[in-house]
Amino acid sequence: MIYDIGHLILLTSLVLAVCGILAGFWGGHRRNTRLIQSSYNAVYAVAALVTGATAILWYGLLTDAFHLSYVWNHSERALSAFYKFSALWGGQAGSLLFWCMILSVYSAVVAFSNRNRHLVLMPYVNAMLLVSSLFFLTLLVFATDPFKRVGFLPPDGQGLNPLLQNFWMIIHPVMLYLGYVGMAVPFAFAVGALVSKRLDNEWVHTVRRWTLIPWMFLSAGIIMGSQWAYMELGWGGYWAWDPVENASFLPWLTGTAFLHSIIIQEQRGILKVWNVVLIWLTYFLVILGTFTTRSGIIESVHSFARSDVGPYFLVYLVLILFGFLWLLFDRLPLLRGEHTIDSYASREAAFLANNWLFAGIAFATLWGTFFPMFSEILTGERISVAAPFFNKVNGPLFLLLLLLMGAAPLLGWRHTSLAAFRKQFTFPLVAAGGVALLVFVFAPSLYPIIGLAICAFVAATIVQEYVRGVAARRITNGENALLAMVNLWSRNGRRYGGYIVHLGIVMIGVAVIGNEFYQESLNVTLARGERATLGRYELVYNGMASTRQANRIEFDALIDVYNLESGRRISEISPQRNIYDKAPDMPTSEVGLYMNPVEDVYAVLNGWEEGGATATFTLYINPLTLWMWVGGIVLVLGTLIATWPHPTHRRSEAVRSLAYAVGDD
Amino acid sequence: MLAALQLCTGNGESFRNDKMMPQIQPQRAIFLSLFVLLCLTLLGARPLSAQEGAPMNSGAVSPNDVNEIAKDLWCPLCSGVRLDACELKACEQMRDMIAVQLEEGQNKEQIKAYFLEQYGPQVMGEPPLQGFNLLAWILPFAALAGGGIFVWRRLRKMIVQKPQPAGVLTPAVEEKYHQQLEEELKRYG
Repeated sequence: MIYDIGHLILLTSLVLAVCGILAGFWGGHRRNTRLIQSSYNAVYAVAALVTGATAILWYGLLTDAFHLSYVWNHSERALSAFYKFSALWGGQAGSLLFWCMILSVYSAVVAFSNRNRHLVLMPYVNAMLLVSSLFFLTLLVFATDPFKRVGFLPPDGQGLNPLLQNFWMIIHPVMLYLGYVGMAVPFAFAVGALVSKRLDNEWVHTVRRWTLIPWMFLSAGIIMGSQWAYMELGWGGYWAWDPVENASFLPWLTGTAFLHSIIIQEQRGILKVWNVVLIWLTYFLVILGTFTTRSGIIESVHSFARSDVGPYFLVYLVLILFGFLWLLFDRLPLLRGEHTIDSYASREAAFLANNWLFAGIAFATLWGTFFPMFSEILTGERISVAAPFFNKVNGPLFLLLLLLMGAAPLLGWRHTSLAAFRKQFTFPLVAAGGVALLVFVFAPSLYPIIGLAICAFVAATIVQEYVRGVAARRITNGENALLAMVNLWSRNGRRYGGYIVHLGIVMIGVAVIGNEFYQESLNVTLARGERATLGRYELVYNGMASTRQANRIEFDALIDVYNLESGRRISEISPQRNIYDKAPDMPTSEVGLYMNPVEDVYAVLNGWEEGGATATFTLYINPLTLWMWVGGIVLVLGTLIATWPHPTHRRSEAVRSLAYAVGDD
Repeated sequence: MLAALQLCTGNGESFRNDKMMPQIQPQRAIFLSLFVLLCLTLLGARPLSAQEGAPMNSGAVSPNDVNEIAKDLWCPLCSGVRLDACELKACEQMRDMIAVQLEEGQNKEQIKAYFLEQYGPQVMGEPPLQGFNLLAWILPFAALAGGGIFVWRRLRKMIVQKPQPAGVLTPAVEEKYHQQLEEELKRYG
């Protein structure tokens, strides 16, 4: 009964979304306050209803309602409550419902927090957010019903995919969804601005924070996905450029470009067309990414035909494409730039180069991801486009981007004089030269020398900016260094938080270089008590141990890690294999890991014989990899600093609200 | 993530050209250095097939020798999984085949050519440099170059057309103000 209500709720939400869209567009056009208010109410009601429907499916998962097809296919009695909860996003119907719930909650927060602001813009924003919700509700009602029955009462479920039974796999999709879905908000504002013809900087100013927040979640989601791949897949790496990973990376690339290019629009009133195109592209890539992962079109064009949601996605993508282009061309005369760029050696020019590179990397990634499909259609031949292609094409572009990340903040707006140029670049270039020399002496290899020198250059620019900022505050306000730094964040969090984000990216860059260029590996079969030497470590195999868990048996290989020089035991690691009762043919792997800032000792258990008398391992030394996860945390912290409203900003927002309240909008 | 920085295994070749141009303008210096860096990285980003394959000995073949080759090959059945890490039975047999060929004295390039012939271009992890698949390589760089030219022309048009606004400081004047500011800071700081 309750599950019929769930379905009915989704149907009601769909009808309400349609009403809200009509109310928003028509109310906005006619400036009819009652219709406008209806659009707000529709957003709130859809959020409440979809959250209710999600709660019902959660209830079904937690109470083992196996007569529901979704619960039967993605859960089992022996699954812990934690994984039953996360099974919501373990399959197609549940994950689309989760998508829709996050979107509707985002929409409600946007509508509520802007209820007294942007009075011209908001009806269209509400309507556009409801258009996105409507699409997902259509899928849930007509294509993939999460409350579908199986027609009998199975005694137990078929279990959750073993690969998804991992801590990082619980949080990673949530973060990714929060990032993905959140990009619908700036897109809705862009469409609102185009439809209402309010194309000044107001919408750009508002969406900066609404883009930074999903961008932060998307970044965290990508890093957590890498962490999962590193810990679970056991090939010593963290990123394989597979279509699903690329699907999450593409909107990150265009979203990052957008975050940079809106700075130029705010500062100089240019790139207006490019900005609306970029945020549309980001939204388009979000839907395309969901489409590619849900329809299986990349793996094979044939699976598209079998997919129950693929055709819906295709229609929606076509609608977004042509609808947006029509709107854009219609509004082109209103999108003229207010200024021009004065010099090549200006921050504006550097931002342009940044956008060019981001767009180039996004295009190469999109092209590489879809190329196997084109090749199969046109030549009938299946080819694979994997890491070698992406590394060769995107690698040089990432290096350039990294270099630009250091150079751009050193250039002035409009023009940089030779003296300023010398003053700004001397220290970072010296630091880069020093690091290049060090790498050349201790680990000579061309690409790491270039890569690490660029990382040092960027890090030095950040340090230099902080030192100057802190010194200026110490002189003018007499503050101590710590207070001065905190004040830099609170007074100009946008700029100094941005530097922290850049620092996080540098750390990730260092980790990538360390792992890709200096990784060592060894394949060994060890008898109990036998030793293997790798890098600066000696590893001793001490046998196997098994533990029975509720839905699986865990097999652990016990390995002691010793420092080769001192002979001191520094850690115990236990690479693991899990055999799940419901999927015995899909054993999963958990790597054994000893991490330190210099390098990771990473062990994968490949197999064992005679109850553990001998075991085979692949052992890796992964240099500097810890910095990838540290960099991820730093990036999130930096984004929080950049997003946090500082006192002046809060004041100006209050003044703006007052202005709207007295009818200035 | 960002595994993209792996370009090739780096064979120690140096492409360094440290000649500095005298009296170089800052804006030119930026673009020149960007261009040089792009050239350096592109020059170095040779396909892995360009690496020389060391002749193998005819003695016992270790799993490390096998994986050294399997690392450059891709599972023909999975999406984006390297042959040395794939756990499918088919991939295990492919690794056994590498061991057999190594024992027969075949080198890395010969073994890779064998797999290419047997399983098609899917095992290479990248589109072959021929026919329609050439497009996979050309289009990203063509698009990047096209975009670059477009941005460059727009930028040049803006900069050339723009008369020097009255309020903009020339480098000499800015230098003068800078010195004055430093002096006053010293005096009051």
